[in-house]
Order: sequence, then structure tokens, then C-alpha cells
Amino acid sequence: MELFTPDFGLIFWMFVAFGVLFLILWKFAWPVILKSVDSRADLIDKGVEYAEHAKEQLDNAQHTADELIKSAQRQQADMLREADRMKSQIIDEARTAAQAEAQKVMDAAKASIAQQQKEAEQQLRADIGTIALDIAQRVVKQQMSDDKAQQKLVDKLLTEIESQN
Amino acid sequence: MKRLLLIFAALLAIAAPRALAAGHDDEGAESRIDPKEIIFEHLGDGYGWEVPFDHHHRIPLPCIVWGSDGLHVFSSARITGGETYRDGNVEFRLGGKDSDYRGKIVEILPDGREERPFDLSITKNVCALFISVIAVVAMMMALVRYYRRHGNRAPRKGLGFLELLIDFIYGSVIKSTLGKNTPRFAPYLLTVFFFIFAMNLFGLMVVFPGGANLTGNIAITLVLALLTFLVTNIFGNRHYWKEIFWPDVPLWLKFPLPIMPLIEIFGMFTKPAALTVRLFANMMGGHMIVLVLTLLIFIFAAVSAVAGGVATAVSMVFSVFMLLIDVLVSFIQAYVFTMLSTIFISLANEEPHGHHAPAAPQK
Repeated sequence: MELFTPDFGLIFWMFVAFGVLFLILWKFAWPVILKSVDSRADLIDKGVEYAEHAKEQLDNAQHTADELIKSAQRQQADMLREADRMKSQIIDEARTAAQAEAQKVMDAAKASIAQQQKEAEQQLRADIGTIALDIAQRVVKQQMSDDKAQQKLVDKLLTEIESQN
Repeated sequence: MKRLLLIFAALLAIAAPRALAAGHDDEGAESRIDPKEIIFEHLGDGYGWEVPFDHHHRIPLPCIVWGSDGLHVFSSARITGGETYRDGNVEFRLGGKDSDYRGKIVEILPDGREERPFDLSITKNVCALFISVIAVVAMMMALVRYYRRHGNRAPRKGLGFLELLIDFIYGSVIKSTLGKNTPRFAPYLLTVFFFIFAMNLFGLMVVFPGGANLTGNIAITLVLALLTFLVTNIFGNRHYWKEIFWPDVPLWLKFPLPIMPLIEIFGMFTKPAALTVRLFANMMGGHMIVLVLTLLIFIFAAVSAVAGGVATAVSMVFSVFMLLIDVLVSFIQAYVFTMLSTIFISLANEEPHGHHAPAAPQK
């Protein structure tokens, strides 16, 4: 049957056609196509790698930022607590200082009052002496003539007054 | 879609009156159609190329024959009608129904005998071959041009699909089987795949640029298998030849009587033979089924009009179905041919056992 007997002309032309096709594609098509496909695959691989790397870095950055924020918050809290502590300390100190100062002032005032009292007492004593002397002088002057008993009485009275004080 | 329908309708409009006219013209002849003859005429080669809806005109192709007195080149239109063409001192015609060289160009010797000249005519199949070559080159060059112009950008649509095919064949068939030998054989194998695929698909088209039953012709598949045979054996390494002539089997299997070597040598030839027949039979079978389904219309139409109508509907549906299957088969057969060629070549290039780690399949 004709179908099963290969025709020589067709075999010849098939060789020619395949040879031409193979040479053209081998020379001009396959190297370019395969290289392009490969290089694009490489490019895509590289891109994926880069993206993964970038994502990793981003994750790291996020992590670092979180860490920073957390530590900042901690620091802030510490500082606030410290400030609080310092405030109360300062207030305490101020209060103590004020108390001490007030004490000092009071002490000074007390001392000065005591001093003045003393001085006043002395003054008074001196004044009373003077007054008494004056009185006595006047009594003496009036009653120069009086006897010595009267003088004695005066003296006695004076002593009494003094002891009363 | 609308345009397709329009084209289809236009084709029907052209075809219907002619078909009707043909039916009225030779009613007697049509009622006795010879399915076998029609099928083999369609499956076989021819000196002209049929045009749709016309049995008498063919696209003329050049006939190149080397007769008893030298080279003759003439148009096929001079002989396809059954005429005898006289060129110089010799006469040529197509071999008649009872001739040994039926449908081929024969030279009529002075004593009336027919002799087959050395025939290198550009027949329908050869022309289809050239069309396939041009189509494959055009596709690949389009892809190359795209790469040149766009660098690393991926092509879309048609070129993208082409690249997908290339990548599929290259990556999952060639590279994963051949390993480090890939660059040596990939060009051949890729060429084989796309050439077969293009020829298969062109064969499925019914009108002009296609319609030639190329891969369903044993000469074509024979050449392809022969090329794989040559590549396998020329580039086969020492280990391959040792495995053929002195295989790793008990001595009595190869020493006094070379049983295993004989089997191995036989195997060398059965592999390409299997390649030849597989592609040929698959493609021819597909064409034949569609032809038979189409012929059923005429066979049943000769019985009665109703039967003809029913047969038309049924065989149209089945023909479309078969043609769609054939598209799949076209791909599968091209793939199988390429894959088996790859395996044969890789077996001929295998390193001896124990001397290398098993090649891990590469992605």
C-alpha cells in the first residue's frame, strides 16, 4: 500500500527541510530564547531573594522599633517615677528645712524674748531701785526729821517688795 | 466570535450551491462512491493542492523529475488532470489505476511501459513541509525579536504561550532527563518537537495552508526517527557501545553465542522503528477517523435523504469532537516523540554505573 512505502522524494525534501529548520533555529533562535528564559528565571529568583531579604529587614526594623519604643516607654516611666520621688524628696527637704528655720527663728525669738525679759527685769529692778530711792529720798526729805525707826521700816518694806517679785 | 460565525456562514453560502450542483450533475456517479479510494487519496500525497469546493482545479506545484534523458521541471497542472505531458523527447503522466505507480509521475518508455523517474517534485506534502518550516521559523523569530526588543520582560498572549511550551519541553523533558548534556542536544530536541507539533496542527487544518497529511506519512516519521537514531548512535559514549556488545550479564549469555548483544543490536533498531510507527499511526488514524465520519454522510445520503440528514448531524458532531481530540493528540505525539528521543539520547550518554551519583532530577 502506498501509505506504507516511503516516497524517496519526500524523504529527500524532509531531510532538507529539517536540516534548514534545524540550522536556522540552532543558529538564531534557541540560544537567544533559552538564554532569555534562563536569565529571566534568574532575575525572578534574584527578585524573590531580594524581596525576602527586604521583608526580613523590614521585620527586623519593626522589631527594633518596637524594642526602642518599649525601652523609651520604660525610660519615661522610670523618669516619671524618679521625678515623682525627687519631688516628694524636695518637698520633704524643704519642709524639714523650713521647720528647722522656723525652729531657729523661734529659738532666736525665744532667746531674744528671754533676753529682753531679763533686761526688762534688770531695768525694772534698776528702775524700781531708782523709784524706791526716789521715794525714799522724798520720804527721807519729808521726814528728815523722822527717826531712824522709820528709815528702817522703809528698808524693810522695800525688801518685802523685792522678795514678792 | 461574530466574525467567525460570519466567515462560517459565508463558506456555507459558497459551498451549498456548488455542492447541490455537483449532486445534480453526476447523481449516478455520486451514488457509487468508493470510500476507500477517497480516504487514501486524502491521506496520501499529490502533485497539486486541492482548493475547497472544487474538484477540478488544484494549486499547481512544480514537478522536478530526473527522467531517462535528464532533468525535467514542469508545472503539475499539466498532468494532474490525467493528461500526458511531453517535454522534449520524453512523456510523463500520472500512473493510472492499474499501474504499479498509481498516482505518481511515470515516464512512458518508447515501448509503452511505464517507468518511475527519479522524482524530487515539490508535492503537496513537500510544500506543506516548507510551510511548516516557515511557520516554525517565523514563530521562533518573533519570540527572538521580542526578547531583543524587551529584554527581560515576559511575553504575553501568543508569544507567552510559545515560551511556555518551550519552557515546558526544555525544562521538564530535556533538562530533567539529560542533565549536564542538555546544551548539546536541546537544540535538536526542541526543533523536533516544534517541527512535529507544527506539522501535526497544519495537518488538521482542512484547507490550503494545511490539509496535507504530513506526520501521517511514513516517510516523514521515518526521517525523524532516523535522525534520532543517528544522534543517539553518533553521540553515544563508550559505555553505550560496551552495553551493546559486552553487556553486564552472565558470561554464557554473551560469550559463545552472543545472545544479549544480538538483542541489544536489535533494540537499537526497534527504538526508531517504534518512533516511526507510533507517530505515523496516531496521526494517520486521527485523519482517517475524521475522513470516515465525513464519508458516512455520503454513504447514508445514497440510501435515503432522512438517513443522510441524520448522518450529517451525527458525523459533524463526531468529526468536531475527533478533530478536537486530534489537537490534543498532535501535542501528545509531538511530546512523546521528543520525550522518547530524549530518553534514547540520554541512555546513550549515561555514565557507567558506580562511577557517578545518580543524577538528581533538576528543576
